[in-house]
Amino acid sequence: MTTTNDTITTPISVPEEKSSQQFKEIADRASYVLLPALALGLFLVVWQLLSGTGITGTLPGPLEILQDTDTQRLIREPFFIDDANAKGLGWQLLASLQRVALGYSLAAVVGVSLGVLIGSVRVFRLALDPIFQIFRTIPPLAWLPIALAILRDGPSGGIFVIFITAVWPIIINTAVGVQATPQDYKNVASVLKLSNTTYFFQILLPSAASYIFTGLRIAVGLAWLAIVAAEMLTGGTGIGFFIWDSYNSSRIGDIVVAVIYVGLVGFILDRAVYYAGKLLVASE
Amino acid sequence: MAYLEIQNVGKVFNTAGGRTFEALKGVNLQIEEGEFISVIGHSGCGKSTLLNLVAGLYPMSSGRIMVDGSLVTEAGPDRMVAFQNHSLLPWLTVRQNIELAVKAVHKNLSETERKALVDEHLAMVNLNAAADKKPGQISGGMKQRVGIARALVTQPKVLLLDEPFGALDALTRGRLQEQLLKIWEAHRITVMMITHDVEEALLLSDRIVMMCNGPSARVGEIMTVELPRPRTRMEVINNPNYYRQRNELLYFLNKAKKEKATGTKVPVSKVRVGASNGLEKQTLELGFVSLSDCAPLAIAQEKGFFTKHGLTVNLSKETSWKTLLQGILEDRLDAAQMVAGMPLGQTLGIFNKTPTTIVTAMTLSRNGNAITLSRKFHDLGVRSAKGLKNYLDSNPGAKELTFGMVYPSSMHNILLRYWLASAGIDPDKDVNLVVIPPAQMVANLQAGNIDGYCVGEPWNSRAIHEGLGFVPATSLDILPGHAEKVLGMKETWAEANPKTHVALVKALLEACQFCDQPENRDEVIQIVARKAYTNADPIYSSMGLSGSYNYGFGRAAQVPDFNVFFKNHANFSTRSEKLWVLTQMARWGLVMFPRNWEEVIERVYRLDVYRQACHDLSFAVPEANYQSFTLPDGSVLDPNDPIGYINSFAIKHEVTISDMKLKPRLLTVA
Repeated sequence: MTTTNDTITTPISVPEEKSSQQFKEIADRASYVLLPALALGLFLVVWQLLSGTGITGTLPGPLEILQDTDTQRLIREPFFIDDANAKGLGWQLLASLQRVALGYSLAAVVGVSLGVLIGSVRVFRLALDPIFQIFRTIPPLAWLPIALAILRDGPSGGIFVIFITAVWPIIINTAVGVQATPQDYKNVASVLKLSNTTYFFQILLPSAASYIFTGLRIAVGLAWLAIVAAEMLTGGTGIGFFIWDSYNSSRIGDIVVAVIYVGLVGFILDRAVYYAGKLLVASE
Repeated sequence: MAYLEIQNVGKVFNTAGGRTFEALKGVNLQIEEGEFISVIGHSGCGKSTLLNLVAGLYPMSSGRIMVDGSLVTEAGPDRMVAFQNHSLLPWLTVRQNIELAVKAVHKNLSETERKALVDEHLAMVNLNAAADKKPGQISGGMKQRVGIARALVTQPKVLLLDEPFGALDALTRGRLQEQLLKIWEAHRITVMMITHDVEEALLLSDRIVMMCNGPSARVGEIMTVELPRPRTRMEVINNPNYYRQRNELLYFLNKAKKEKATGTKVPVSKVRVGASNGLEKQTLELGFVSLSDCAPLAIAQEKGFFTKHGLTVNLSKETSWKTLLQGILEDRLDAAQMVAGMPLGQTLGIFNKTPTTIVTAMTLSRNGNAITLSRKFHDLGVRSAKGLKNYLDSNPGAKELTFGMVYPSSMHNILLRYWLASAGIDPDKDVNLVVIPPAQMVANLQAGNIDGYCVGEPWNSRAIHEGLGFVPATSLDILPGHAEKVLGMKETWAEANPKTHVALVKALLEACQFCDQPENRDEVIQIVARKAYTNADPIYSSMGLSGSYNYGFGRAAQVPDFNVFFKNHANFSTRSEKLWVLTQMARWGLVMFPRNWEEVIERVYRLDVYRQACHDLSFAVPEANYQSFTLPDGSVLDPNDPIGYINSFAIKHEVTISDMKLKPRLLTVA
């Protein structure tokens, strides 16, 4: 009796299982979008409710921010220019990005060069590695007074802070990458008697590339962190200065919008370096 | 000087904790231009270290390596390596990987010439289709082919292959081996390949170098692969030499493994005990090959003659004469029972090998050999060499006959050749002669790999008792009373241990005397049949030793002198018989004939030691004179004109005559 039951129930249960499996897959994919959206919505609701009770001080709720016409303009028109001191958020971000680009490029060039040097020459490694290990723990803003003392100029000081913040992870990761060059590749180079330049560009750099890009990715995050802080102190233009300026004029809603922009740009920068690395680094 | 010369090379690594590890010690190897050499051994035997030293990837601790006359000091593309794990650069395409090598090595080529070179090598390994793929996108076998193409494109003087197929599956490995074989046979570059695959080594190489196990690894044996080229896998595995050589390789590897497991190594004791009897060395390692005529050594051991003369002897049973000689050359053995021509052959540098002076003070046995022919000839009515000649003449299209003998400088080779040539058969042109260790003769005859052989007992008797063949001639029919086995050793050993040498000769003389007393023969037969010696049924070893001989298919006779050990001054070598052996080795092109043959013979045969031993034992010594020497077939050797004697033979090899420069004798170390 049991055997007949089994043969009858099995064919029926198969399509059911299939459809439930398909549903599971769709639900699984949707949850990647829905769950963060749900969390965000919940956060906004809690924030709105809390701002209603007055617990959040002068920080307005999300609805109040969106109802402010000046804030609405900031969101709608990122590139307006009223006068030299009143520009859209897009311009502010571009000013900051320009500094980051300068400081970060400098850090990349110097960092990779120094990293290769201490990675391949033992004397330099022994001499410099302990110093670098200490320097890299110094907070970015602690460098600012020194930078200003040397450069006597706000914007240059900001660039210097970005450079000094970004350079350490690049140096250290490059050095590790260079040291991790597989003996096999070194053997190929010595058997073929490759010239130093060929060795550097054809073997050493490509072999260390994945380490170098890890360093670059950490560095770009740190650089973006540093610029906002540096601009708050040095003034002039830039998203950091905009935030500080908005605080001084009690435009807390504007700050919230600017902060969201800062987060998005930081995220994009990180992804950009990640994909650049993926494109350039060969995978075995 | 050879094309690639590895001289006394050693490598010591510094390991953690300030200790050192000696990977290689005293490695010597000569590789000729265009030769394919495989180095085989267990993991950790230092074979990859050796390759890296040749490549110049790290410095050697001692010795030197020369390639085409120049010293190896650093890595360079003239010794290009195809690495075990291919070592392709993953960020470059297949083409770019090869281009990198072309650009680095052929700096003067134009862009188009470079491209042509790359294309040519891509085509050589059938990889044009994958040229623009990256290593990550192609299979392991393809990567290895790119590695080989990259190595070949540099046109190296020596191509170094480091277990090139070790990481591949069996099917791919087989395919790539054949591809490499074809490429090599088309280009014939000098190759040194590291491998642990016995079949791969046999398929590809001209010679196989077997490494002993480390630490302090060195070259154990070198085998010449006896397979004709061009080779294909199917032809190779159907060649009778293939299985024999494969077994020899496996035997060596197993032996090395056992030594490693038990920790026994190089049994020669280096310790010199100052003894009351004044011997320089009391514990000796003597080599022998399992044959009935090892009787003097067996008896000296079992009946206490060695002990009587203050010696503790370990008898080492060697698988072949070649292994035995190797043991002497690398000081694993102090002395050995040798085939009669071995001391002269080695001293003169047989087959153009580096000569090493080997001396002999006494003959251990005379006669004792026979020629066995397959029973198929008996069925055809062949009874003698003449009959064999008639068979060859009447069957011109038949498959070439192959005969086995035990070693080029052995009496078996000389007797077999003499016997064949006496009937007008040229042993080099009309038939094929192969070297086979004595104990493997019967199996090879049974398998049809050979049609006959010349060997000592009990290996003829085995074939006769099993009805596989018959004996048309023995030593007594060809050259009665010829010296068969001698006591041989390096001259340097003899110089360093003169008293021990005399004691050894005395012990063996007494053992020989014991063997030849008729009342002792039964005991000799029983002892020789033991597992430690021939490990054959006494029925077999009694044949010859007992004085009766069965020629097969009903023919039997009393042959009291089939094995002679002592009587009629058997242990004394007459000068004419030494000269006769020399003329025969020169006749067949095994050695050159030295113009200063008297000097060579005086140097090799140590009559002084023999006389001293006989004096101590009160044995008589005959006069040493060069008298003319007559053979049963009527030919006469006039000791005043040995070259004329060689020229009197109708059938012979091209004979080289020149001066032999012997190394000056070393002074005895006190």
